[in-house]
Amino acid sequence: MKVYVGIDLGSTTTKAVVLDEDGGVLGRGITNSRSNYEVACDVARTEAFVRSRFQRAGDAMRREPGLANLADRLLPELERNFRLEQHLEQLKALRECLHRAAEAPRLAPHKYELDKRLTDICEHMENVALKQWSGGAERKSDFFRDLASQHYADRAEGIAEPRGITFETLCGIFDAAILQVENATLDVSFSTHINRACKRLLRNGQKWPVWLAEPLGRAIEAARDEELDVVRSVGTGYGRQRLPFPRDDIRSEILCHGLGAHTMFPATATVLDIGGQDTKAIQVDEAGIVTSFQMNDRCAAGCGRYLGYIADEMNLGLHELGPLALKSRKQVKINSTCTVFAGAELRDRLSAGQKREDILDGLHRAIILRAMALLARSGGIDEEFTFTGGVARNPAAVKALRMLVEENYGKRTVNISTDSIYTGALGAALFATRGHTETQAESPRRGRRAS
Amino acid sequence: MKAPLQTKVGTCITVGIDVGASSVKTAILGFQNAELPNDPVSRMPASTVADQPTAVLEPKKMRDIVARDDSRAEILVLRTERIRRRDLRSVARQSYRAALSEAGIDKKDVAYVASTGEGDPVEFRLGHFYGMTTHARGAIFLMPEVRALIDVGALHARAMRIDSASRVLGYRMTSQCASGSGQFLESVARYLGVALEDVGPLSCEATDSETVSSICAVLAETDVINMVSRGILTRDILKGIHLSMAGRFVKLLRAAGAEGPVAVTGGLSRDVGLERAMQEIVAQEALPIEIRTHRQAIYAGAIGAALWGLFRHRKRLQRNAQNS
Repeated sequence: MKVYVGIDLGSTTTKAVVLDEDGGVLGRGITNSRSNYEVACDVARTEAFVRSRFQRAGDAMRREPGLANLADRLLPELERNFRLEQHLEQLKALRECLHRAAEAPRLAPHKYELDKRLTDICEHMENVALKQWSGGAERKSDFFRDLASQHYADRAEGIAEPRGITFETLCGIFDAAILQVENATLDVSFSTHINRACKRLLRNGQKWPVWLAEPLGRAIEAARDEELDVVRSVGTGYGRQRLPFPRDDIRSEILCHGLGAHTMFPATATVLDIGGQDTKAIQVDEAGIVTSFQMNDRCAAGCGRYLGYIADEMNLGLHELGPLALKSRKQVKINSTCTVFAGAELRDRLSAGQKREDILDGLHRAIILRAMALLARSGGIDEEFTFTGGVARNPAAVKALRMLVEENYGKRTVNISTDSIYTGALGAALFATRGHTETQAESPRRGRRAS
Repeated sequence: MKAPLQTKVGTCITVGIDVGASSVKTAILGFQNAELPNDPVSRMPASTVADQPTAVLEPKKMRDIVARDDSRAEILVLRTERIRRRDLRSVARQSYRAALSEAGIDKKDVAYVASTGEGDPVEFRLGHFYGMTTHARGAIFLMPEVRALIDVGALHARAMRIDSASRVLGYRMTSQCASGSGQFLESVARYLGVALEDVGPLSCEATDSETVSSICAVLAETDVINMVSRGILTRDILKGIHLSMAGRFVKLLRAAGAEGPVAVTGGLSRDVGLERAMQEIVAQEALPIEIRTHRQAIYAGAIGAALWGLFRHRKRLQRNAQNS
């Protein structure tokens, strides 16, 4: 099967989209690894292919007579077990790196004690992981780094001693180790882990009948062994110049977001994209071509990292912020512009007894206010208005945006999709399919010119 | 240091707790014979010393008090504890307890606990002192010769011109942006995979420097990754950042009217790279400023708070004596 890949190398997350020959989305992948562009690109692509193969596995299941009815229930279960396998693999790597980091000369006097403690923490992390991936459990984040650092800190705080092995020492070791884990290319592919995930599913879930094993195995094997032939990859995003792609296969993120938004919502006239480091206000024409745009300055205030920083400060997962802010009953005005200062203001307000949700609501409003200024400079908001980028997933940001749009421009259709974070990658993948057909059409002419 | 000082006759113990944006610094100070009745300054009429903002005290009296208290003070314990997103009140409490046990002192033998910085909410403190006065006092205690200081913390930098009695004569603060702050440098170090204590020495080894204009503290990560992937050496990146920060701090010092020996205090006083960069800039611009620091300058705020704590404690004693 021929596929096209679009990669959006963002500042906070890297996204990949795999399209089939007809331009339909086969799989999407995302990672928050940001230590190294090549690795991030690799991980996102691997993820997108994992999702693609799950999609194909679902198709294969639906073709199996006995499985057809079960496929929709079986697939998420299988994926959950697969994620657990991936997580355990990463934990294994982390454990090694932790022990290696503990070998630093200045830690030598505590070596024995330290190893004992690290082993204890690692075991704790494994147990938590097993619990978290059992059915129905909530996770603060889907990213390994977020989960691992939280579980690690929870345990480390409990077993640290103010004299001897301190919390600080343990945190330092973690910081060094996680960086190594993120830089290493671990094998988390579909083919490596799917069989074990399948076994785990059948072993643990007594609810599945035994005869399932055979047709399920067949479906999985079909998805695993199917050839996915990448015809062309196009890259975009903040770090696009660093992608190992030829120059022709790099597109600006403005173009990709314009096209991606246009494809998702064909009537789009104005696009607001709030990503990790950039906020872009884009005006597009009927064909999805950019007519004007404005971007923010190099400052985290007013983009996604602002919320990411706040989430870190509050020890919350990024996707917990929005729902919490929605509970607010009282408007709080945040005085700081700078993200770091807003974090300090948040701490001050919290210790002054203000409610978390009210402060959070104010923070969400602050970032949208910055975006509104940008939109005004790019030429205002026309009908229809599409909101893309990671922040579009945040319900509190969306609420603040809807309110401010109506206040300033009157009623507008606001388009938001749950996959809005992949808009840039989708645009890039669409350019990959287009580019492919264009080069084919152009090649005879080029040949003539050369002769 | 661990001698049971509380049993010594006439020793008064005060504690200064400096709550910063990223760490809590605790200083325990002991004062020899601090409460003896024949103390000339203690016998000053309460109206001259007590109930007056320190800044309007006559310079001579201030100098007397500072000189007398400082000469009798002995540092017993210094301690830093990183906050790391924990509740600052509990971190302060933990740090206080640990420092007391390190000194072998019982809580009830402490005459005064003074907080400074963001330490106002710390519930076991008796008084809270404004950060500038404590840093000035602490700087004069550690380096009596300085007449200006720059306090570089995790979030803010403050330049102050002071006199020998540690009175603040003029000051300037950084703007509302964390670029070039301590936290900024810490993030950069983390992205570079460099331990914080290695940042300074590495920067000093630099042979070249990568020019850095102001970078958003939160977005620095990608800029650093870009520099690394362009093949720039870690030490040169650090040097560039130090120079850019130093440039801002020197400007701040000039705006505050600093001249002569200048102390670097606060968390970044430990960073020899920053100190060196500031010295280079001062030399380049041929300014009448001489940058120096002290290995305990990170505790300037906590030490200053403990010193002011004694001052306040004495005032209380005087008031009690008058009332009785």
